[in-house]
Amino acid sequence: MGDKTMTTTEVGRSLPRLEARQKVTGRANYTHNLKLPGMVHAKVFRSTVPHGKILSIDTAEAASYPGVAAVVTGKDILDVVPEPYYGPAFHDQPILALNKVRYVGEPVAVVLADDPRIAAEAVELIDAVYEELPAVYDETEAMTSDAVVHDELKPAGTFPDLKHLNGRKDTNIALDFHLKQGHADAAFASAAHVFAHSFQTQQTMHTPMEPIISLAEPSGDRLIIHTASQSPSFVRSEVARLLGWSENRVQVKVGHLGGGFGAKLYIKLEALVAALALLCRRPVRLSLSMEEQFYTISKHASTFHIKSAVDKDGRITARKCEVLWNGGAYADIGPRVTQKSGFTATGPYDIAAADIDSYALYTNRPPAGALRGFGIPQLVWAYESHTDLIARELGMDPVEFRRRNILKDGRPHVTGTVMKDAAIDAVLETLAERMRWSEPFDRGEGTVKRGRGVAIGFKACVSPTTSVATVTVAADGSVTLHHATVDMGQGSDTAMAQIVAEVLGVRTEEIRVVDPDTDVTPYDMATLGSRSTFHMGNAVRKAAEHARTQLDDMAKSLGMAETAAGRVKEVFRRTYGMQAGTVVGVGTYIPEYVSPNEDGLSDNVTPFWMIGGTGVEVEVDTETGRTKLLKMVNAADLGTALNPRIVETQLSGAAIMQLGFTVSEEMILDGGQVTNASLADYKIPGIKDIPPVIENCIVDAHTETGPFGAKGVGESATFGVSPAVAEAIQDACGVRLTRLPMTAEAIFHALHGDKK
Amino acid sequence: MSFELISPNTLRDALDLLDVDDPSIRPFSGGTALRLMMKSGVFSPSKLVVLRGIPDLSGIEISDDGSLTIGALSTLAEVETSALVARQVPVLAGALKHLSNRRVRNVARIGGAIAHGDPHMDLPPLLSALNAEVIVESRNGRRHIAVEDLVIGYYETLLEPDELIVALRIPAQDDWHSAYRKVTARSADDWPALGVATSISHEGKEIRDIRLVVGAATERPTRLDISEGVLRSEGVAGLPRAVEAAMESVEVMDDSHGSATWKKALLGVELRRSVEEILGRNA
Ligand SMILES: Cc1cc2nc3c(=O)[nH]c(=O)nc-3n(C[C@H](O)[C@H](O)[C@H](O)COP(=O)(O)OP(=O)(O)OC[C@H]3O[C@@H](n4cnc5c(N)ncnc54)[C@H](O)[C@@H]3O)c2cc1C
Repeated sequence: MGDKTMTTTEVGRSLPRLEARQKVTGRANYTHNLKLPGMVHAKVFRSTVPHGKILSIDTAEAASYPGVAAVVTGKDILDVVPEPYYGPAFHDQPILALNKVRYVGEPVAVVLADDPRIAAEAVELIDAVYEELPAVYDETEAMTSDAVVHDELKPAGTFPDLKHLNGRKDTNIALDFHLKQGHADAAFASAAHVFAHSFQTQQTMHTPMEPIISLAEPSGDRLIIHTASQSPSFVRSEVARLLGWSENRVQVKVGHLGGGFGAKLYIKLEALVAALALLCRRPVRLSLSMEEQFYTISKHASTFHIKSAVDKDGRITARKCEVLWNGGAYADIGPRVTQKSGFTATGPYDIAAADIDSYALYTNRPPAGALRGFGIPQLVWAYESHTDLIARELGMDPVEFRRRNILKDGRPHVTGTVMKDAAIDAVLETLAERMRWSEPFDRGEGTVKRGRGVAIGFKACVSPTTSVATVTVAADGSVTLHHATVDMGQGSDTAMAQIVAEVLGVRTEEIRVVDPDTDVTPYDMATLGSRSTFHMGNAVRKAAEHARTQLDDMAKSLGMAETAAGRVKEVFRRTYGMQAGTVVGVGTYIPEYVSPNEDGLSDNVTPFWMIGGTGVEVEVDTETGRTKLLKMVNAADLGTALNPRIVETQLSGAAIMQLGFTVSEEMILDGGQVTNASLADYKIPGIKDIPPVIENCIVDAHTETGPFGAKGVGESATFGVSPAVAEAIQDACGVRLTRLPMTAEAIFHALHGDKK
Repeated sequence: MSFELISPNTLRDALDLLDVDDPSIRPFSGGTALRLMMKSGVFSPSKLVVLRGIPDLSGIEISDDGSLTIGALSTLAEVETSALVARQVPVLAGALKHLSNRRVRNVARIGGAIAHGDPHMDLPPLLSALNAEVIVESRNGRRHIAVEDLVIGYYETLLEPDELIVALRIPAQDDWHSAYRKVTARSADDWPALGVATSISHEGKEIRDIRLVVGAATERPTRLDISEGVLRSEGVAGLPRAVEAAMESVEVMDDSHGSATWKKALLGVELRRSVEEILGRNA
């Protein structure tokens, strides 16, 4: 094995993704390509009302349509799943609607047929009758509305901190999280200045290129689920729970994902196909259209009221935050967003006193979950816009104002956790430098004005979560990695293989990475929240080290030097008398963590902090409102980059995605109905919409507890984009927008007076 | 719900398949618009007559009088990259570069782009400003229709269900100079929120004649007669009045691309800029 003192070059190497060639030659394994013998196709019949009692569902005509195998409603599901409610935080979502529907597009029935087109045609023949109930769509109205989406809250039993919500009635507040640090009221009373603003974000979509898809295949007394999922381990345990089975009777297999971004977490179609397969005793495939994704999962709309007390020197002394998260009809992971992101609502600033109130709300909209940033982009949008507005009112340079208040390592965050390995100031300084902040700036001429802005944000990592990996070394010395982190394009297979390669002294390209398969790949909480590099990376490193220790011990007992690089084959041959045997290294990682107390405080609230920021230069055509981004700089602290090239594409990819949410994307609702549920009308940025100059900077940093100094990076460049653009627009033409998206029309109305 | 797909090999066969009394039988050229309509359920055909196999409906030719004839089945990409088009009507080649993306332009055909009748299209207003006409054929014979007259309402054209556009004719532009200004609201390669097509026959800053057509923001491509009149009589000095007249006289729609208020303002700005662009360019 490799010399322990010899640092190889595998970590830090910008090798291309291991599967790149397979992908570009069309050979990569995607769930969409899978055809199972005898499989039937499912098509979903969806609710047309936002909130209503189901009076009847007439399926007779669809059932007798030639080619239809079966029509299934929520009542039929009860035959195989008596308690058909699922969800990661609340068991509130029925596999198919039961008694009630809660949003337009909710699955109500399913047609199964050998031909997917027949299934689609037969769906049109189903007729459901509803008694409509009052509906609520807006998060602020949901706080007090008479329209109540769920009769009773049903928190999942697995979370002790949700127990108090059990059975709560007549409320749309799924979860309220509160943090109290110091004496905010006193600080406000004695403040030199008080600033208060409100900001809103819109509901948007993940739009992965590969729509959501799952297949279920009965196999003896077991079930195999093939699914494009970011969380195979969760799917296995949740489906097993629903069926009342042991986990080893459910096998979940995942190929490459054509994008995820949080859309493919927890249970999406898996419980439905599992139930359908058990009902019809055949393999069932359900593949959503791009349009149907709009009725499946989305990003929270939000309203954020923020208020700061500032002293005469421009130091923030206290902050109050009230955040309302529009979770839609089912909680999904929203309560966790409310809480795990909620506690960072005061921003990356050194503030002694804070009150945070964060509310997860049910409304009659399509459900919202995690989308690249887990709520953080909504928070940064508000607190950084607020920061710029304060700087303006104080007449201070916005970068200088941030410098004065920035949260430095060694200082406590409002939770009480002392900051460590969090290069917030380095991210800010990198942006200032790359934006040439202190140099004169061309402000444009005539009706076309130019402006610039920077913004920074940070994120804690959801905790505590566990990752397990195994590294096996075959008797010829070749190495296989088993882990359930899902590579959805972010390059995790490559990064994990680099870690193994570094530890075992082999080339990354020679390592075989096994696709997630719960029969063989060990437990992982999920691929979300930029947790994998850190958690799974640590588990993989431990597994590789465990394998290496065993190999060293074998070598030692043969009297060979423990640094028998390239002689693993010989070690096996001499140990077993022939080329035989396997060494299995196991690594499990769970970070230390202290859950917040009743005041939301903890001295160890996150295993690591992600830091990201963005600077932009824009040009506003003041006659039309049309705005062009001329330049974008993204900077992040991601610890030590395992693969700098992949990291840079994560930064630009995240920033471009957030740019869409900043300037154009919005799910438009009319009476609960999404009116632009297709890519013809819901536009994500194309190549001509992105800035001509994008710089991505990895700040010099190291995370002591991370694998080879690394931590997560998939979301960091989303944080600063929206507020940086808002500030740049104001810098250019004097108007401030407080609601996303900042479309040309919104800028136009801000400049020229309100819409008639 | 299911439909028949028929691929005739001759124009005659294609025309025989169409039926003046049955709009559920539709010609299918690139299919980019039809398939979106079928997917969203707004149109369910009984029969689709695929035009692609008809040999004599493509090609771009120039006549002695300098006019161009473009076969209805030419793809938008073929028109975009044609040397003849670049020489005779550069504004058309330029506009096509900003029409959606390469994948759509490789598939959509010029006939489909004119016949579709969706107001959010680039070519009908531009071709109207260029004074182009389409050659239309049915079993009963041929007729010529000015592009300007073709679209009569929201998704409504003068074409009968049994008629096919067989070619587009763009007259020689001689001393006419044109500009097409497109505004998109949601992404750069989106359908237009507004299109302003301007053709001016001028000598220096002196306007001899002018054609102004607005599209996308209106229910159908609309000629700006009053503004044209102002510019014809007052010349470029009348531009502010012409702009005002356009904003006052045109009925602009609210839609998913934006409010009428905004688009009306855009119309004024883009109209002014297009006239300035042409006169500035050829000064
Ligand atoms: C994503 C996307 C973006 C687009 N963006 C733009 C844009 O920005 N600007 C723009 O102008 N266009 C745009 N288009 C193209 C436009 O919307 C139409 O889809 C296209 O012009 C139709 O051409 P086609 O050949 O595919 O027509 P088809 O879909 O085949 O037909 C369209 C209609 O015309 C009829 N038809 C077709 N050919 C003939 C004929 N020869 N004679 C009589 N009737 C006929 C059909 O029956 C049908 O009613 C876009 C299209 C897509 C898919």
